[in-house]
Amino acid sequence: MKAAEIQSTKGFTAESSELKESRPYPPCRAACPVHTDVQAYVADVAEGRYTDAFEVIRSVNPIASACSLICHHPCEQQCRRCGVDEPLGVRHLKRFALEQATDYRRSKRHAVAQTKGKSVAIIGSGPAGLTAANDLADLGYKVTIFEKNPTLGGMLSAAIPAYRLPRVTLQEDIDDVLSKGVEAKTNCEIGKDVTLAELSSKYNAVLIATGLSLSRSLNIPGVDSPGVLLALPFLSDAAYERKVDLGKKTLVIGGGNVAIDVARTAKRLGAENVEMVCLESEEEMPAWSWEVDEAVEEGIKIHYRWGPKAVKASNGKAEGLEVVKVTSVFDESGRFSPKFDQNETMLIEADTIIIAIGQMSDFSFLKDSAVKVDERGRLVWSQATQMSSAPGVFVSGEVVTGPGSAIAAASTGHRVATAIDLYLSGKNIEAALVSDRKDKINEMPKDIIQKLAVQPRGKVAHIEPDARCTSFIQFEAGYDEYTALREARRCRSCGAGAVVNQDKCVACLTCLRVCPYDAPIVTNKAEISPDRCQACGLCVPACPCQAITMVGYDVNAIRNSMPSIIGDKGAEPVIVAFMCSHYAAEKGASLSSNVRKVRVHCTSRVDVHDMLSAFEYGADGAFIVFCGSDDCRYREVYPRVKMRTELAKKMLGATGMDPDRLAYFRTGGEAGSDWVKAIEDMAAKLKEMGK
Amino acid sequence: MIVGQQKKFDEIWEMVKGFRKVMVLGCNTCIAVCHAGGDKEADALASMLKIKAANEKVSMDVSHGAIQRQCENEFFTPVLEDLAKYDLVLSIACGVGVNFLSARIGKTPVYPGVNTQFFGGVPKPGFFEELCGGCGSCVLNLTGGICPIARCSKSLMNGPCGGTNKGKCEVSQDIDCAWFLIVERMKQLGTLEKLFEVQPPRDWSGSFHGGPRRVVVEHLRDIEEKQ
Ligand SMILES: Cc1cc2nc3c(=O)[nH]c(=O)nc-3n(C[C@H](O)[C@H](O)[C@H](O)COP(=O)(O)OP(=O)(O)OC[C@H]3O[C@@H](n4cnc5c(N)ncnc54)[C@H](O)[C@@H]3O)c2cc1C
Ligand code: SF4
Ligand code: SF4
Ligand code: SF4
Repeated sequence: MKAAEIQSTKGFTAESSELKESRPYPPCRAACPVHTDVQAYVADVAEGRYTDAFEVIRSVNPIASACSLICHHPCEQQCRRCGVDEPLGVRHLKRFALEQATDYRRSKRHAVAQTKGKSVAIIGSGPAGLTAANDLADLGYKVTIFEKNPTLGGMLSAAIPAYRLPRVTLQEDIDDVLSKGVEAKTNCEIGKDVTLAELSSKYNAVLIATGLSLSRSLNIPGVDSPGVLLALPFLSDAAYERKVDLGKKTLVIGGGNVAIDVARTAKRLGAENVEMVCLESEEEMPAWSWEVDEAVEEGIKIHYRWGPKAVKASNGKAEGLEVVKVTSVFDESGRFSPKFDQNETMLIEADTIIIAIGQMSDFSFLKDSAVKVDERGRLVWSQATQMSSAPGVFVSGEVVTGPGSAIAAASTGHRVATAIDLYLSGKNIEAALVSDRKDKINEMPKDIIQKLAVQPRGKVAHIEPDARCTSFIQFEAGYDEYTALREARRCRSCGAGAVVNQDKCVACLTCLRVCPYDAPIVTNKAEISPDRCQACGLCVPACPCQAITMVGYDVNAIRNSMPSIIGDKGAEPVIVAFMCSHYAAEKGASLSSNVRKVRVHCTSRVDVHDMLSAFEYGADGAFIVFCGSDDCRYREVYPRVKMRTELAKKMLGATGMDPDRLAYFRTGGEAGSDWVKAIEDMAAKLKEMGK
Repeated sequence: MIVGQQKKFDEIWEMVKGFRKVMVLGCNTCIAVCHAGGDKEADALASMLKIKAANEKVSMDVSHGAIQRQCENEFFTPVLEDLAKYDLVLSIACGVGVNFLSARIGKTPVYPGVNTQFFGGVPKPGFFEELCGGCGSCVLNLTGGICPIARCSKSLMNGPCGGTNKGKCEVSQDIDCAWFLIVERMKQLGTLEKLFEVQPPRDWSGSFHGGPRRVVVEHLRDIEEKQ
């Protein structure tokens, strides 16, 4: 179904976003380093507004497509649904929305006028550099990216394996940024092809976003033997399809996510047998548990709690790794401080040994420059200004923060872009560059958890291990539309709920009485607890003073857009259908064109006025479609809105119109065809009534 | 609080149909609490009038709004001038609001959209019950906190009458006999014997029968007026 067929009833305005920003964030949004408004785009998906969802995502995340595949999704870890069953599939929904909006996204690309008359050079095209380029271009600066690799994207392009992140997907993000007029010079290494001093003299500001482009090695005997490789050059060879000969058996040293990527890549490059060895136990291993599971599924064996002692080689070829038993990894205060039992050793045979124990910065390009590196090899910089020790030379991303996630690096790209803009505008950076820490709402109260139905999380399919290991084919499928729409409805819309305008409230207690979650408290005036409110919207039409607004949508949007909803009237009777998004999504497609679909997150928000306004603007009939009893994501909606509809019918009758012009249906699970028939019947009846 | 109910729509239409520019004006105090005349009801009534006007092919321009209280000058200050531009203001405040506005608006007529009914309480959601007769001379200390003026169908001071029947009033089975309630409550309080005390005749002059009533709180008056 085309999203455009359905009227958007979000009606979000500048005031509503101001209100939203003034409220505590939901934990998902607070946890996201760029504070993606998860709840908002998930609601957009739930109601079929895929392009709106794209806009919400892209407005803060220039590497959105990459994140939709590889983000470690701290939002999900914090999701308030965790208390009920499982977290929302936020990353999968992001992927779904972006995939649906691809054409729209491409059509929106355009150059941004370089109004500032100033230029910025960015070294490094990873998440930090790309994000800064994006923001600076939007602000009107002339931006040039210098990248030593043949492609843009930093580690996303040069290291992360394609089975997790196909490069065509990453390219969508890169194309967005380039389309703004950002220039990119690839195969251009600063310090080799061009010096930092040259950049400083040619550009008004320079950004160092060079990430961690060197792999750490081990200081053990035999480490220089042929057949011993480092993670990043190895992954980069794989990424650029350069030939790597691994032999039969590969051993990967390391227990982090990079080590897992290395092992799974080795498997795909033809190593028959891939093993890993790490200091940690299964529980202590720093890699994400799901990545470990996927590796194990692919037949990768992990030796836990062994430390590398020496590489054994003969005839100029590695033969294996001697390892020693680890007795503990962390000291009492939790610091990394591995202890070994030198008496317990073993030899793990291998033709190739790949060291994946961490990355570090390459500062060779800073030699003889004004940018200082301290005695411990760290770049000297100020977090308050994002500037290095050289005026006008800024820093962001992992080059200064150390290893983290792509989205965390992107968030520093936003910050540094603001800093550079302040600097180039002659303003004080420190004073204006604020910390982005936000209040967030609390965990879901226990009594509310008990009231919420358990709905299992929508799963995505993975290609079977045997099949996926033969190539770099993307192994994870996305949601289909049905699953995505269902999943989106699992979101509890945290923080998007009701807010009382204290000037209008008369403390009538109605909201307190209708709320199924005991969210309102009325002492002098009503106040609604954001921790408890489920954003169902039931209280809004109940308030006699219209004192309640919603953070997540404009409560007047339906009425205000009714003339355009009705549009041109043809020969057929015009029927306005207020549809719970669930059913609209799944079944709306089969309705005839004289039915005007008004999709709502829940019929709870459809007010008597909304129903009457349909007739005010010339509808011949209107109906409310409730979802089935087992599907409703809220409580008590059906009996309340049914009463409300009965009232509206009476009011309609009082004006002299036939009350039967307004109807409601409740459908069971998959009973889409029932209500298609019900609408047809209604249309026939309306014709009888003389339209 | 004051409780009222919107008039039947037909009656409202008859009042309104001859006017071209109509303002439906709500009051966001008591009448809003009983869901008869607040912001929301004004909005819905305006919508009904528009539908009716369109169906009747009457050209009518209907607006709606509400102010905090239609019984005080200050709340009208920002809107009075604007209200005077309408051909009719249909006030859905209680009758107090209609009187009050009518005296101040100038030539524009102010019609009532609500039947003002009683002083009541809210025993449960959606129920509004008359509990006080506003008689000007309260006797609740003598009647166990149950108002015989409002709650006895005959406003008897020496009930129950012969029509009392198993705790119900002869007027309707839906009405509790107030005097039955009074006796039961006084039994519970252990003050039943008080009912046998002879009371002096009631002074009804502070009630409806002494002409329009007025309360003056001296210390709140305008200084200039007072001098
Ligand atoms: C194997 C691997 C897997 C990962 N998986 C995930 C994951 O699943 N999820 C996740 O969120 N994060 C993951 N990460 C981390 C993520 O890639 C980083 O957080 C992110 O790329 C850091 O961004 P950045 O912009 O700071 O630096 P980078 O992405 O490292 O970009 C720096 C760029 O600067 C270039 N550069 C360096 N020096 C010079 C120079 N002198 N001249 C010109 N160019 C230069 C480099 O070539 C590089 O392209 C992974 C990292 C690796 C290595
Ligand atoms: S339920 Fe939705 S809004 Fe709440 S934390 Fe989870 S994703 Fe965020
Ligand atoms: S329903 Fe409206 S007026 Fe009544 S207490 Fe709630 S917010 Fe206040
Ligand atoms: S009725 Fe719904 S929207 Fe209103 S306060 Fe309760 S949970 Fe929130």
